[in-house]
Amino acid sequence: MYPIVDHEVLAPRVHRLRVKAPVVAEKAKPGQFVILIIDQKGERVPFTISDWDTDAGTVDFVFIEVGKTTRQLATLQPGDTLLSFIGPLGRPAEVDHYGHVVSVLSGYGIAAMVPILKALKEKGNTLTTIVQAPDAERLFGQKPLEELSDTVIWALGTKGDGMMESTTVAMRKLLNQHPKRRIDRVIAMCSLCLMRVLSEMTRPYAIKTMVHLTPVMVDGTGMCGACRLSVGRTNRFACVHGPEFDGHEVDGWEVLMARRCTYADESILQQGFQCRGCSQW
Amino acid sequence: MTDEKETKGAPEKKPKLNLNRVEMPKQSEHERRHNFDEVALGYTWEMAKEEASRCIQCKKRPCQQGCPVNIDIPDFIAALQRENMEEAAKVLKRKTSLPGVCGRVCPQELQCENACTLNKKGAPVAIGRLERFIADWERTQGSATMPEMAPSTGKKVAVVGSGPSGLTVASDLAIFGHQVVLFEALHVAGGVLMYGIPEFRLPKEIVQREVQYVQSLGVDLRLNTVIGINYSLDELLRTDYDAVYLAPGAGLPKFLGVPGENLNMVYSANEFLTRTNLMKAYLYPEYATPIKMGKKVAVIGGGNVAMDAARCAVRLGAQEVYVIYRRTRAEMPARLEEVENAEEEGIQFHFLCNPTAFLSDGRNNVAAMELIRMKLTEPDESGRRRPVPIPGSEYILDVDTVVVSLGTSPNPLIPSTTPDLNVTRWGTVVIDERGRTSKARVWAGGDIVSGGATVISAMGEGRIAAASMHEYLSNGQKKIIPPSPQKDDDKTE
Ligand SMILES: Cc1cc2nc3c(=O)[nH]c(=O)nc-3n(C[C@H](O)[C@H](O)[C@H](O)COP(=O)(O)OP(=O)(O)OC[C@H]3O[C@@H](n4cnc5c(N)ncnc54)[C@H](O)[C@@H]3O)c2cc1C
Ligand SMILES: Cc1cc2nc3c(=O)[nH]c(=O)nc-3n(C[C@H](O)[C@H](O)[C@H](O)COP(=O)(O)OP(=O)(O)OC[C@H]3O[C@@H](n4cnc5c(N)ncnc54)[C@H](O)[C@@H]3O)c2cc1C
Ligand code: SF4
Ligand code: SF4
Ligand code: FES
Repeated sequence: MYPIVDHEVLAPRVHRLRVKAPVVAEKAKPGQFVILIIDQKGERVPFTISDWDTDAGTVDFVFIEVGKTTRQLATLQPGDTLLSFIGPLGRPAEVDHYGHVVSVLSGYGIAAMVPILKALKEKGNTLTTIVQAPDAERLFGQKPLEELSDTVIWALGTKGDGMMESTTVAMRKLLNQHPKRRIDRVIAMCSLCLMRVLSEMTRPYAIKTMVHLTPVMVDGTGMCGACRLSVGRTNRFACVHGPEFDGHEVDGWEVLMARRCTYADESILQQGFQCRGCSQW
Repeated sequence: MTDEKETKGAPEKKPKLNLNRVEMPKQSEHERRHNFDEVALGYTWEMAKEEASRCIQCKKRPCQQGCPVNIDIPDFIAALQRENMEEAAKVLKRKTSLPGVCGRVCPQELQCENACTLNKKGAPVAIGRLERFIADWERTQGSATMPEMAPSTGKKVAVVGSGPSGLTVASDLAIFGHQVVLFEALHVAGGVLMYGIPEFRLPKEIVQREVQYVQSLGVDLRLNTVIGINYSLDELLRTDYDAVYLAPGAGLPKFLGVPGENLNMVYSANEFLTRTNLMKAYLYPEYATPIKMGKKVAVIGGGNVAMDAARCAVRLGAQEVYVIYRRTRAEMPARLEEVENAEEEGIQFHFLCNPTAFLSDGRNNVAAMELIRMKLTEPDESGRRRPVPIPGSEYILDVDTVVVSLGTSPNPLIPSTTPDLNVTRWGTVVIDERGRTSKARVWAGGDIVSGGATVISAMGEGRIAAASMHEYLSNGQKKIIPPSPQKDDDKTE
């Protein structure tokens, strides 16, 4: 059993949980995830590790209430326990000295990218961070992003306070300055559709673009093949070979998105499942 | 009972020899298509007595030799004949901690029963059914027979993987007096017995009872712990453990590698069965894990896994279930009993054909598959008739769900994080005749070594390795191992 030691509401329907799991905390690296099960009848559901404390033996993750499991998680309080908490799963994000790194975050990525940004900062990279949120009220986790980034661009769905309107416009502007103001790498943890669009935007510039993919998963250890996708014409399992992949090598985004929406009818509340132009809608 | 075997012409000297086995009652086809309850219902006391009475107690014990874990079959049957159930259970437990499992899923027709003397003249003694009967009796009895435990040796062993092979080694070594920690990556112990083989063939409660029995021997079960991620093998050896047994199984699903195989609603058997069995998707929404399935389900493959997937699909409500196999019924690797069960449940078999592509409905869901007809060649030197495609014979079959059940390969995680562990080019771990790997203090067995075999062979290999490990641990011949040259902190790939 894995006790919950802290629960913070960050914004409407956005929560941070801190779980006691020393075995996971000991090995965690930026960009890895856990799979948890709430109780005997629960589903195995993946979440990206947003922080950890090896000494205290705790692991944090931030989640958005979208469906059955996440809504149930939102009701848990310190003292409650989780049946299962397996990790750290997946390969850590690639981190090195690249130069100028532009990252794009939305949703839980706003929190889950923080460990990666920290590691990139430690390697001496210059960081430009584009943050997308539906509106200022639903934005959270600004502080660490401001501290770590050299520049933060707030891309909010509604206009105001000098904030930009859309992530792609912000990205376009940055790309227009390239290579005068060189971009050495792009890393994205946001919706699948946006990651796909970003990959297409950077392709002509040959700027390496890493995307954090989230297909449906079951075991998370390479046993079920639910998370498979084609990368560079070979079949890869996101849970063991990813979740970070080179966006320019991901083929078959359409198929990936369709598979990701397999259970869309069970989770119609999820806005991410109803994107305009998506093959599924 | 029913006459099924022909005995005409056999010179019948001993008139007492009963050549027909007692049939085991089953749930009717109509009924069982709609539930996940066990299909085979087990013997009653009278049936078991009658069947046990058929055994002639052969001096040479051929049946025992046919059993990979060498169960004292004549002895447990003799105990049954004397109506001494406790004794029968004790005899079984001497050689297996999983009789309730083996009695149900062993391919007995190839093993103990194949070797039975009566098999020459009629139907062999139904050893598996009797084994199951005793295990079920013991379970409903409440208290399990406890073996005699050796005093503690102070040695500590790690067993990786809680499938049948790991459970066997864990219980054997615990009985020998060693301290055993059993690591399991999933949230439940049992391996394929829990996530693969369906409830209607092997009720999960039975597996869990047997897991609890192993725990009652003092085995420390640590769920949710992945070796190769949470601890590397070298780390185990360097820290607490005197020896390690590797039994992580063969869990990596194989795919055909044809176009369209990643379309939505094309499952691997592992995903389909894990959702259904381990996560109990058939009880959705009471259980939170969903499984989506259409009306026309094609299962690709001809082994036990394919039969299980097809029979799960029937129970989940598919209107039509096809099994697509590239050879003929005679070559199917699945147990005959399960093929017959599948046929009774209305599953349609398509032989001599193989998928060449999966076609989309335009929204990336599978809508049909293209198949090519196959023919069998003349037997080659190995005696096998290879299937070859007939050019130009492609045709289309409409389906809305596909389950690819081509089998699995060994789990690569531990070999890939342990550079000095010898593996073959198929990824199986290399062992010697006593279960030792190329790495000192490390033994292995089960599907990680065979690449995929049976529950009982996984147990048999475990038994051999456990004896070898015990010998090593008792002789105290703890070799000085040079420290591993690499830091294994970041070998999580
Ligand atoms: C590697 C990885 C990391 C993730 N990290 C986070 C995180 O840090 N924070 C966070 O809020 N979410 C994260 N997600 C998404 C999260 O797993 C889903 O939001 C969650 O599964 C929704 O479950 P639910 O029962 O509440 O929703 P439901 O809509 O009821 O779920 C229905 C089904 O769809 C699947 N599913 C639904 N949404 C997703 C999704 N986005 N990705 C994959 N499968 C999905 C579920 O497993 C379930 O089977 C991550 C996903 C992956 C694969
Ligand atoms: C659907 C299906 C039906 C079958 N039907 C039959 C049948 O009727 N009769 C029969 O005799 N055989 C049958 N088999 C084969 C049989 O189940 C296997 O041969 C047997 O289970 C192998 O046992 P094992 O202990 O080697 O591995 P497994 O049963 O595969 O167990 C391995 C365990 O190790 C765990 N593990 C893996 N990696 C790690 C790690 N790194 N760290 C910690 N734990 C790990 C896994 O989660 C798993 O629990 C069937 C197999 C399948 C898939
Ligand atoms: S374990 Fe299997 S092979 Fe051995 S006696 Fe029992 S059923 Fe037969
Ligand atoms: S071979 Fe058959 S008849 Fe002979 S002892 Fe074994 S089970 Fe009994
Ligand atoms: S989630 Fe099962 S293989 Fe990746």
